[in-house]
Order: sequence, then C-alpha cells, then structure tokens
Amino acid sequence: MPALVFLFLFLVLPLSSLFLVSVTEPSLGLGNYAKLLGDAAYGRVLFNTFFVAGVVTCVTLVIGYPVAWLLAILPARTAHLLMAAILLSMWTNLLARTYGWMVLLQRTGIINRTLIDLGLINEPLPLINNLFGVTIGMTYIMLPYVILPLHATLSGIDPAIMQAAAITGAKPRQIFWRILLPLSLPGIGAGCLMVFVMALGYYVTPALLGGTANMMLAEMIAQQVQSLLNWGLGSAAAFILLAVTLVFFAIYVRVVGLGKRS
Amino acid sequence: MTSLTKNAVEIHHLVKRFGQVTAVDDVSLSVADGEFLTFLGSSGSGKTSTLFIVAGFEDPTSGSVEIDGRSVLSVPPNERNIGMVFQRYTLFPNMSVRDNIAFPLSVRGRPQNEIDRAVAEMLDMVRLGSYAGRRPSELSGGQQQRVALARALVYRPRLLLMDEPLAALDKRLREDIQQEIRRIHRELGVTILYVTHDQEEALRMSDRIAVFSHGKIAQIGSGSDLYERPANGFVASFVGNSNMLRGRLRGVSERMASVELADGTVLHGLSDANLIHGTQVEIMVRPERLIPSSSRAGDLTSLQSVEGTVIDVSYLGEAVQYEIATRWQQNIVVRNDSRASGLELGASAHFSFHVHDALVFPTQPSAS
Repeated sequence: MPALVFLFLFLVLPLSSLFLVSVTEPSLGLGNYAKLLGDAAYGRVLFNTFFVAGVVTCVTLVIGYPVAWLLAILPARTAHLLMAAILLSMWTNLLARTYGWMVLLQRTGIINRTLIDLGLINEPLPLINNLFGVTIGMTYIMLPYVILPLHATLSGIDPAIMQAAAITGAKPRQIFWRILLPLSLPGIGAGCLMVFVMALGYYVTPALLGGTANMMLAEMIAQQVQSLLNWGLGSAAAFILLAVTLVFFAIYVRVVGLGKRS
Repeated sequence: MTSLTKNAVEIHHLVKRFGQVTAVDDVSLSVADGEFLTFLGSSGSGKTSTLFIVAGFEDPTSGSVEIDGRSVLSVPPNERNIGMVFQRYTLFPNMSVRDNIAFPLSVRGRPQNEIDRAVAEMLDMVRLGSYAGRRPSELSGGQQQRVALARALVYRPRLLLMDEPLAALDKRLREDIQQEIRRIHRELGVTILYVTHDQEEALRMSDRIAVFSHGKIAQIGSGSDLYERPANGFVASFVGNSNMLRGRLRGVSERMASVELADGTVLHGLSDANLIHGTQVEIMVRPERLIPSSSRAGDLTSLQSVEGTVIDVSYLGEAVQYEIATRWQQNIVVRNDSRASGLELGASAHFSFHVHDALVFPTQPSAS
C-alpha cells in the first residue's frame, strides 16, 4: 500500500500533469503532437534519435557478445579481472568519460594528430560534433549494459551442450548459429532493449559530442523547455519517447518473456 | 604388431597430466569391433579423462589413440565420427526431440527425406515415437537420456562413448535403461566405451571391464574374470563385496599360500602374486562363499572354516546377511540364501569355505 501511494505521488501524478501540459499549452488539443510528427525539422530529430539508438545497439551487441562469451569461458581469475575492468569503466563519472572522448576525437585530438603525423590524412577528420562522435561515445558507455545480461545468459548455458553438438559432427560455425545464438537470445533481447531504450533518451553524450545540426530527442526536449520555455512541445516530445519505449518493452516481453520461459 | 582380430580402438601409453596431477598414467588397451567395454572406477581414477581424450575434448600429454588403425589425436571432435552420451543432460533446449535427433544429419547436409526416415527409426528404437514434438524440458531425465542416445546413434558413428549416462537416475529407471542399452548394443553391434563408478552396472552390461585406479588400469577382463580371479586386492575389494582377512604369510607351495591370522588360526588360499614369507597379506573370501555349519569343517584339506558370533542379521529379500565377530577382532560378512538355515543374533557358528574360493594378496598400502 505505501508503495502504491509512493508510485502515485512520484510517478502517476507528475506524468499526468506533464501529459496535461502537452495537450493544453499553448492551446487545448493535440497540436503539439501533430507538430512533432508532421514537421520535417522535428521529424529529422526523431529520425536521428532512432538511427543513433539503432546503430549504437547493433555495435554494442557485435562488440559485447564476444566479450560476454570470453567472460563465460575464461578461467575464474582472469574473468574477474576482465569483469572488474568493465565495471570500473561503468562506475567512472559519465562526464569525465565523455570529455575523454572529446580529447581523443577533436580536430587537434590524438586520433587526428596521429593520422596526420603518419601521413595518412591531410585534413583532420570530422570525428566530433556530429552523429559519428555521438555514436562512438554512446557505444562505449552502453557496452556494459549489453555485456552484463549477455554474460548472465551465456554463463547459464552448460558447456557440455556445445561439446555434445561438436561430437555429433557440427562445425564451430554451425554450433554458433544453431545452438549458442538461439540459446543466448534472452540475453541479447535484454541487453539490446536496455541499450536501445537508454540510447533513445540519452542527453549528456549527444549534447557534448553531437552538433547543433543533428540534434537528438532529449537535447530537443531540453532546448524546448530550458531555452524556448515551450513546455507544451517539450512535454509532448517526452511522451512520444515514453510511448516508443513502452512499445519496445511490450515487444520484448512478448518475444522473450519477463521471467524464465517454462 | 598386426593382430587378426580387428580392433576398433587402440590406446597406447596414454598419459594426461593437469599441472602436478597425473590423471591418466600410462593407460594402454584395445577395444574389439562391436565390443561393450566399461571403464569402472571411483571419481578421479582417470576413467573419464581417458574417455574425453578419445572424444577429443582433451589432448593427452603423451601416448596415442587410434580408431580403425588411424591416429585421431589431430582430428577435431566433430570429425571423429563418434557418438557420445553425457552424464549431464545435453539435449539442445531450443529444439524439439525430433530436431535434436535430426541435428547430426542436418549439420551433415543430408537430404530431408533421409533425415526423416532415420529420425523415425531412432525414435522407434528408443520407444519415444509419441514424444517427437516435445521440448527436452518436457521430458523426464530417463527420457532425455534416451533421446540423447538416439541423437548419438542416428549418424551410425564408428564408436559410442557413454560417460555415466545413468548416474542421475533412480535405481529402477536405471535398470530399465541398462536393459535398453544392452538391447540396442545387440541390435546395432556398435562398439561402446562406457564409463561408470557403479560396479553392478559394469558387471550387468559389459563384455569386458577395465578397472581404473589412480590413473592406471588395475585389471581388464570379463566380469567373471574380475570377480572370480581379481588380479590384486584393489580389484577384489572394488568389484563385488569381499572379506579381506588380515594375516601373516607362513609359506607358499604350488600357488597355495598358508596364512596365520592374529589369533593363530591358519587358513589357506590361492595366490598368483609374488608373496614374501612373513609379510602382511590379506585373504579374500566373498560373503556368499562362506557356508554356516554347526561344527568345524572336517579334515578335508580343501575345506576350511572360521568361527565367530553373529552380531547383526539383515534380511535382504533374496538373501540374508550376517555380520560376524571373529576371535581375531575383525568382523566379516556372510551372505546366504534366505531360505537356508537361519542363524539367530548372538549365535556362535563355523563358516566353511573352499580353499579355491580364498585368494591371497599382499596387503594394499592403506593410502588407497
């Protein structure tokens, strides 16, 4: 009962009032939503948001899967070290890590300087203040969120099942596609959902590594509310984000299930 | 060294070390085509390591494994054409029973109609035809192992390895599936290497048994070889029940050893080992070879007896088992047909046995 009161006071109430704002300011009706979904400039922001979230999800999965597998098969001591490195990066301050990427990626940063010194390029590459920089920074930050659930799933798979598959004549490639990958789907689903949903609403990294030309949704909400004081449009954008998140969560529950499948 | 009988598997001087531990210590054996050979031993005796080297999951430190005369050590497991049933349940949880059995043929790219036919045949063989569409999680442990057996045999492997496949099952079910494995072995004539720690299972199923101890083969032979003519005290006490009467060697003549027990009783038994006069030895007598009688055995040289008091009686159905306290402070076990003369608790009796049922071995180091 106290939990319900808590939820009502701190979740239902603020969300409801935010929703009211989105359909009443500046005028009553769904004007804000129509504007967001109809206007090309806002459409561009929505596209950027989904595009970056999608790319980040795919890249973290491709990088994270082998790491999670390594964690599952390495001897315990080495696995603990690797896990500590992953967690340490996760616990480091978000701003510090993002500034770190700025140092690396900027025009006069280490990467551009090295490439120019090696004579590989003449002009610095545009690595920052665009969606490329945002994708790199977010991929790095999201990696643990895909590695951890994948690791949980993969370490729950009995290695004897892979041995059994091998002795029946399956090649390593066949074992991966037909046994290991299907068995790791719950972890893939959980990790991807987590990363995708977090990426959709991500603010700090896009704000620092992105450019003004290619905004993401969270940046736009902040801009509408803080700079333009357009609470109606900002609230509507927040609700679109919430709705999309819920849709993806529903898909996930449908496909993978919340708990263990019976 | 070419022999006329065709051997399916030849293992020569196999050694496997894990750091300081020698898991497999110079094991050599050959398995005849179509033979059912069991590795029997307690955990850590090297039996499973040897099996895993044959499967290709472990590389030996030295030695060789040949299948049909060709070394397989550089061949990965998936190309060895071996079937295997594991101790743990290893069916693919993401596939139905049918797809599990079809998997080995499917990864070989066989045509679908051939796969369907072979899977149906295997389902029939393990009598699980009506379960084809089920998931492994919907099957009992015994059913899962039967599906695993079908999956291991559907591609007609050269050799079937079984690593304690029935260890997790209860006794009744275990015996049913033992029967089934024996039937399948008879029907298909496949060569089987079977690992177990259960001596009853080994005796029940195998053509021959290799008894493993501390990474070595203590003895290899048929069940009756091991039971009637154990090569040493370890095999005598590991295979079947036995009484090991401790005493001191008084003399040996023509394989007949005389042993003096602590209370001065002198008993005789057969011995093949090189025994040293005056050393500690053990006389092994199986519990069922001791026959109760009211009086000391006659002067027949081939029959002898020990005397003792019944301190425990256990009724076991087909047999009755007595624990007997002897005058030399060592309890012995006697097992008789339950219809035979019953002894009361506290009764004093003689237990006679034939000298040929007594075997004399040097005392084993107690560290075993």
